[in-house]
Amino acid sequence: MLRTSGLTKRFGGLTAVDDVDFALESDELCSLIGPNGAGKTTFFNLLTGVLEPTEGSVELRTGAGRVEGDDGEGGASTGDDGNGADGWRDITGAEPHEVASLGVHRSYQVTNVFPNSTVLENVRVAAQAAGGDGMNFWRNAGQLEEYIEEAYAILDRVDLADRADEPASALSHGAKRQLEVGVALAGDPDVLLLDEPNAGVSSESVDRVVDLIEDVATDHAVLLVEHNMDIVMEVSDRVVVLNQGAVIADDEPAAVRDDPAVQRAYLGGYEPGSADDGASSDASTGSNDGGEPA
Amino acid sequence: MVLAFALYPGVYALLADSGLSTEVVAVLPRIETLVVVLFFGLFAMSFDFISGYTGYLSFGHAAFYGTGAYVVALGANGKLPALGPETPFMLLLVLAGVAAAVLALAIGSVSFRLSGVYFAMITLGFSQVLYVFVRDWDFVSSAPRDGVAVTGTLEGFRIGVPGVDGLNVAIGQLTGDSIEGLFGFINLSPTEVSFYAIGAVVLVCYLAMQRLVHSPFGRTLIAIRENEERARAIGYNTYAYKLGAFVASGFFAGIAGALFVGFRRSVTPENGFYFLVAGDALLVSIIGGFGTLAGPLYGELFDASVREFLSKEGGGGGLLPYLRANVGDATLATELYNGLTVAEAIDTFLNGHAALYVGLLFVLFVLYVPNGLLGTARDRMDGTLAKAVPRRVRRWFDG
Repeated sequence: MLRTSGLTKRFGGLTAVDDVDFALESDELCSLIGPNGAGKTTFFNLLTGVLEPTEGSVELRTGAGRVEGDDGEGGASTGDDGNGADGWRDITGAEPHEVASLGVHRSYQVTNVFPNSTVLENVRVAAQAAGGDGMNFWRNAGQLEEYIEEAYAILDRVDLADRADEPASALSHGAKRQLEVGVALAGDPDVLLLDEPNAGVSSESVDRVVDLIEDVATDHAVLLVEHNMDIVMEVSDRVVVLNQGAVIADDEPAAVRDDPAVQRAYLGGYEPGSADDGASSDASTGSNDGGEPA
Repeated sequence: MVLAFALYPGVYALLADSGLSTEVVAVLPRIETLVVVLFFGLFAMSFDFISGYTGYLSFGHAAFYGTGAYVVALGANGKLPALGPETPFMLLLVLAGVAAAVLALAIGSVSFRLSGVYFAMITLGFSQVLYVFVRDWDFVSSAPRDGVAVTGTLEGFRIGVPGVDGLNVAIGQLTGDSIEGLFGFINLSPTEVSFYAIGAVVLVCYLAMQRLVHSPFGRTLIAIRENEERARAIGYNTYAYKLGAFVASGFFAGIAGALFVGFRRSVTPENGFYFLVAGDALLVSIIGGFGTLAGPLYGELFDASVREFLSKEGGGGGLLPYLRANVGDATLATELYNGLTVAEAIDTFLNGHAALYVGLLFVLFVLYVPNGLLGTARDRMDGTLAKAVPRRVRRWFDG
């Protein structure tokens, strides 16, 4: 679905992402973990075109359902040759909107929605982008009902339908995190990159977000950044551990948990379910700050 | 509101003839001022279209207004290639818009590589370069610093439906048509005819912009204003959208400039290209309501009315002549402080200081009415006025 080879990003002397070979399969939920500053968010920014890699490449194999030209935006394709014979398309250095129109959408670690628009409009405008109708300047947006219906369907899915008419800024933190995922979903993605959807969410609301993650994983390829190891162990098909920009483990959750290198770098004696040990409290404080490079 | 504008000349004439004549003339703006309100309001709306909806302050917007104005002035003087002085005004109007739009495409394609205050500064830079260029370009007239007056044609510019003579009227203070006996009882002076003709063009432009604002394209612009990073992340090529909006905005600014010359028949670099022209648009946009589209027109109406009310104008009404004429002599001669009489005080504080008071009002607006006139009205009424007012009236009648 999505793969990188030798992906490297350097900021001056700091190597934030170091020679990462990574592949995401179309039907899996893969978690990306690592200590703060390991390069997880930088890795996301490289995948979505926000940052240009220093070295290496990002390739995407879009699903059969996504036709060329579906992106609707002129100049959105990175090369006219389109998908290669094997279906892989090089998206290294593509603009963020091009990556998005090819079916890779993301949510943000710090809520990043349209604050003064209604909850509905947040999702509707994203659906409209995916439908390629953004440049339509003559129709009244309220008459293009397919996007409104689609937006309501997504709000149902993220459990916000009853708050559709409120401005996004009026939502509670937990609800904003749900909207954050909703906006990403509305772009009709094949690949969904979720950057700490649980960041700062109170323990009572965590279950709702976890259910949401598991739900979207049923019909999307998901790459999840998450600090809460209980959630990672529960939902992941596979776990990739990043430390100082490099992949130090890539395996099934249980195997990663028992990997001595991972224990040393990140988990620090993590046992499943032990909520009050050092690693977990470390993780929960870590999830509240955005202290990663870039 | 359209109706209110349409009825204004009649109401004004009626009131000016009534017993309240002096008060009415003192307080209400003249029709001539309202013509200015219309075309400058259109310019302010075009400014709001780009700045209020995408959040990019187009500080050099005067460039498009000036371009539109100069295209008409030069066209009417026969200085544009392939166009004689007899070129119809409606064609010049469209040409002015297109020329401004092309300029906007050129300026925008460079400027939108920047954002925030840098965008404002680079557009300002472009417009000042054009200002200096036009000021010293002796192609436009023999004394370019004094601007261009329309000398190529003595007839008024005609606004109307092309090809239908009966639906065309000439505009201008001196050159316009006057209409007598319309429907048997309506008599219109040239200024009033200009008011309606220019109002019709402004209305068409407003409706077109309104359409754009409510389209998916307009919604995307709002998304860009709200959060450009996210707009890009959900798949919008924000550069193309901003540029498209800038070109449309430039087009309507050019139309506004063309109407300005159509009515005034002259333009100078100072009232066309100078950056304070865009400053005025910003000012009335903030008074009227940023990002409301129609708001800037009301802001301009408010601003022009206050200015006129406070300015000294020979026979045109305003506060100063009113006070002089209607305050008793004994009061006027009363000494207030240290030899200062009331008459002198009025003169000192009012004469020629309109801009000072407008400035103070502007400060108060920014502090206490940050959403502007229309923005605040919409907030209070919970919706646009067109929807909210009938709802209120109905509720009032239902008890």
